[in-house]
Amino acid sequence: MTTERMNNEARVSVVKKYKKRSQMAEIWRRLRMNKGAMAGLVIVSVLVFIAVFADVILDYDTQVTGQNIMERLQWPSAKHWMGTDEMGRDLFARILYGTRISLSVGLVAVAVALLFGVTLGSVAGYFGGVVEDVIMRVTDIFASVPNILMGIVIVAALGANTLNLMIAIGVTSVPMFVRITRAAVLTVRNQEYVEAARAVGITEAKIIATHILPNCLSPIVVQTTLRVASAIISASSLSFLGLGVPVPSPEWGALLSAGRQYLRTNSYLTFFPGLAILVTVLALNMLGDGLRDALDPKLRK
Amino acid sequence: MHRYIFKRILEIIPVILGVSFLIFCIMDLAPGDATSVLGAEGMTTEQLAALRHELGLDQPLLMRYLNYMRGMLHGNLGTSYISGRSVVECYFERLPNTMVLAFASIGVAILLSIPLGIYSAIHGGSIADNISMVGALLGLSIPNFWLGLLLILWLSLGLGLFPSGGMKGPASVVLPAITIGTELMASLTRTTRSSMLDVIRQDYLRTARAKGTPESKVIWVHALRNALIPIVTIIGTQLGHALGGSVLTETVFAWPGVGRLIIDSITSRDTPMVTGSIILTTITISIVLLLVDIIYAFIDPRIKAQYAGGRSK
Repeated sequence: MTTERMNNEARVSVVKKYKKRSQMAEIWRRLRMNKGAMAGLVIVSVLVFIAVFADVILDYDTQVTGQNIMERLQWPSAKHWMGTDEMGRDLFARILYGTRISLSVGLVAVAVALLFGVTLGSVAGYFGGVVEDVIMRVTDIFASVPNILMGIVIVAALGANTLNLMIAIGVTSVPMFVRITRAAVLTVRNQEYVEAARAVGITEAKIIATHILPNCLSPIVVQTTLRVASAIISASSLSFLGLGVPVPSPEWGALLSAGRQYLRTNSYLTFFPGLAILVTVLALNMLGDGLRDALDPKLRK
Repeated sequence: MHRYIFKRILEIIPVILGVSFLIFCIMDLAPGDATSVLGAEGMTTEQLAALRHELGLDQPLLMRYLNYMRGMLHGNLGTSYISGRSVVECYFERLPNTMVLAFASIGVAILLSIPLGIYSAIHGGSIADNISMVGALLGLSIPNFWLGLLLILWLSLGLGLFPSGGMKGPASVVLPAITIGTELMASLTRTTRSSMLDVIRQDYLRTARAKGTPESKVIWVHALRNALIPIVTIIGTQLGHALGGSVLTETVFAWPGVGRLIIDSITSRDTPMVTGSIILTTITISIVLLLVDIIYAFIDPRIKAQYAGGRSK
């Protein structure tokens, strides 16, 4: 309680001092004061670093997929921090490399969903009428099938590989972006500056892109962060069910699924991949929650 | 009110038609058809063609969909390629098992989360609030199949408290219910807290206190009633999804529910079973959401008044 009051006082003095700062700087300042969000940001940055440089840190053929039967199923030790699997592969190396797969599946899926969802949502919100009705009814249909079932059906129909996994998770994420974007656009579209833009004869597409969407960014940014988190869970869930990234690539859900057979004797094979998913998702959720508070201070009590 | 319920039922129909068409089309993309499952290896091309004709598989997609719809109107969603049994029958055989898990986990989540969320809202910023919010964030972030496996590892294989899978008596409900319940609890606690926070500073509560209403009544009656709408929404959505079958939890615990039915049918390429179960799942979820909408009217007289609007009553 006292720390919060001190924070508030500090905030008041800082606001007085830097009143002329840009909006971005203000948001960044609010985000920086949120310990959870900053912890999330640091973890996410480290994970992105690992994902980008996975090739540099590890040699895929020898360290990640190379088998070494002599050292199979060894419990964690100084040599193998997270033990070895049934093929004698170092689990730590595989989980590190898995960061690249999980993050890229999450990011690509959400990017696809973002592209379609924001376009459809802004068109629905801006134009209204029949266009809106059609878009929203179709969205309702897609949204009424539980995400995981939709993902399962799409992967089963298209075949289990990384690209189809991205498509499946992307498709299941579209409805939420449509709804959020539409709701945000509805609050903006009747404002005077939009009318002014229309009066000077700017094209509709340009009005949406340059006048409407920039003012709808906060909810979209927040949802994107949170959605990457749930996309990573969905991707690992599908892989766990055998409907995702094919072996031998070290996707976390697939590692879990393989390790599950050794739950009784080598439980670390189940423990560490799940921990990797938990840490990643938790970090993204903390960052997302923090962004929400930073972008919309009214919600913060 | 009756008119409203009737209108909502009518609104469900296009969604169900849409979902069935969507799933029907997607499953049509799947490689292979009934003939690849029905043990047609030794058949000649002519025999295969005859079999396809007999099953109606040589017709165009739209015709097959219309036939399917005609069956659906009669409560017939086809028969399983594998067992030859009616899809509807198989689904309703599994549904009670899924319902047991759904109600057990939601019941526990409601009993624990609502008091916890209210406490957190009243004592905002306290240590207990921080702990429960961190806990809720953890609950939202933990992959439930992993949680299920850890529970098996520690409570079943380790301590031998509960069976590790299958459906054998009340004890076997505990671990899968905890697995599903964790996620429900997490989001329910967060929703209750934020919804209560919105209400708790309003003037009418101060008025109630000023009139000498006991604090417990102020919170549990005056505040909670107004905070209830978002809470009921979340419970309804969760119940719907839980009834849709928790594919992962049911897989981890070998629980014979709807989720397992769907995943097993996917694995064995039992297309009618997949399509039918998913349509039935969607119908189940739509009905639950309809009930939630009706419950709103009982919680919030303002909503009821809205529906009755226009008529003097």
